[in-house]
Amino acid sequence: MSEASRREVRAGLEPSLARLWRYALVLSKARDAADDLVQATCLRAIERADQFAAGTRIDRWLFAILRSIWLNEIRSQRIREGGGFVDAEDALISDGAREMETNITASTVLRAIGGLPEAQRETILLVYAEGYSYAEAAVALRVPTGTIMSRLAAGRAALAKLK
Amino acid sequence: MSDDDAELVALIDNELDEDRRTALLACLAADNGLRQRYEELRQTGAPLAASFDVLLEQAPLARLRTALSDNEPIRRLPMRFAGIALRELAVGLVIGAFAAGAAIWAASTFGLFDGREDWHTAIAEYTHFYTNETFSPLKPDAVQQAAELKAVGAMVGANLTPENVALPDLRFTSAFMLSYGGSPMGVLAYVDPSGAPVLLCILANGAPDTPTRSERRGDLSLAWWSRNGRSHLVIGHVPEERAVALAQMIEKQG
Repeated sequence: MSEASRREVRAGLEPSLARLWRYALVLSKARDAADDLVQATCLRAIERADQFAAGTRIDRWLFAILRSIWLNEIRSQRIREGGGFVDAEDALISDGAREMETNITASTVLRAIGGLPEAQRETILLVYAEGYSYAEAAVALRVPTGTIMSRLAAGRAALAKLK
Repeated sequence: MSDDDAELVALIDNELDEDRRTALLACLAADNGLRQRYEELRQTGAPLAASFDVLLEQAPLARLRTALSDNEPIRRLPMRFAGIALRELAVGLVIGAFAAGAAIWAASTFGLFDGREDWHTAIAEYTHFYTNETFSPLKPDAVQQAAELKAVGAMVGANLTPENVALPDLRFTSAFMLSYGGSPMGVLAYVDPSGAPVLLCILANGAPDTPTRSERRGDLSLAWWSRNGRSHLVIGHVPEERAVALAQMIEKQG
């Protein structure tokens, strides 16, 4: 592995940490798992720095690594073992104290997002928080664009019921 | 949710092609109910963005940054997957403290998942996250290695020195502390000539003496024994006979 590649990836990781963690949290709905998933992503990214195509978006590359680790190594493992992360709607809300400080609307929305299926949560995050176009999200998630549309609509419909 | 919702959301997101957009706008102009639905869906956009911003603010950046030490490759990975709960201090802190000779305890817990896992399983799962590049770049000097061994040895009640942990055809890279089930666990990381990691885990759990036993788990070989109140496990991508031979050498050296 070249030192230059490693440095480039490290440089890209630092500003992406918070967003990687948010993605990990939205996927796993568990803060400790999100921490660990991000660190696993950092490790894998640095180890595979040579595979990063210079000139492309490193954040998207990192997101793909994180998602791959989640799907192929972590979530699937939990399913095999009959386990799983707590399926609590309020899993995206940190704790009582934090919630009191947090805008109540945000807490309500996060609780609603937490109640959505994983695929919808992930799609909503990528499009509305990370700025993926429908086409980009379809490629990243390996589903047809129509599926992206229906996931986003389902998510927005669930949120619309809050009003 | 209806098909209309998907179209309306795509319109809101400016993702419809021109023909479809024109057609839908015409529908909206003629359908009061559809306009109302459009507005309901549109109004979810701002709260969504704001809520995701809240999550961003909650990211534990200081902790996450520990994985990005400029001075050392990432080599130890806190994992809490599959029921594993593994915590450690920042790599830099651990290295620094060890180098200073401090008997620091990385207050980590290597817990069971509902009591169903044994520690071998937990270690085996953790070991899968190591690759040939995890430890092989580490080339600490002898002083640092000795300091690490001394600190880890103190935590598990063993006398560990570069001499008595040396193994043929394996290069010792580093030692660090974890814990399992509340008991301190030292981990000595070696690499073979190809860089493949082999771990020696020493768990100070007060277990009675047992002879060496071994097994294969997937592509990993495990060999373990207990002596003097400590359980030992050799694990790595090596043939099972090799793991047993290493275990027996370590047992003799201890």
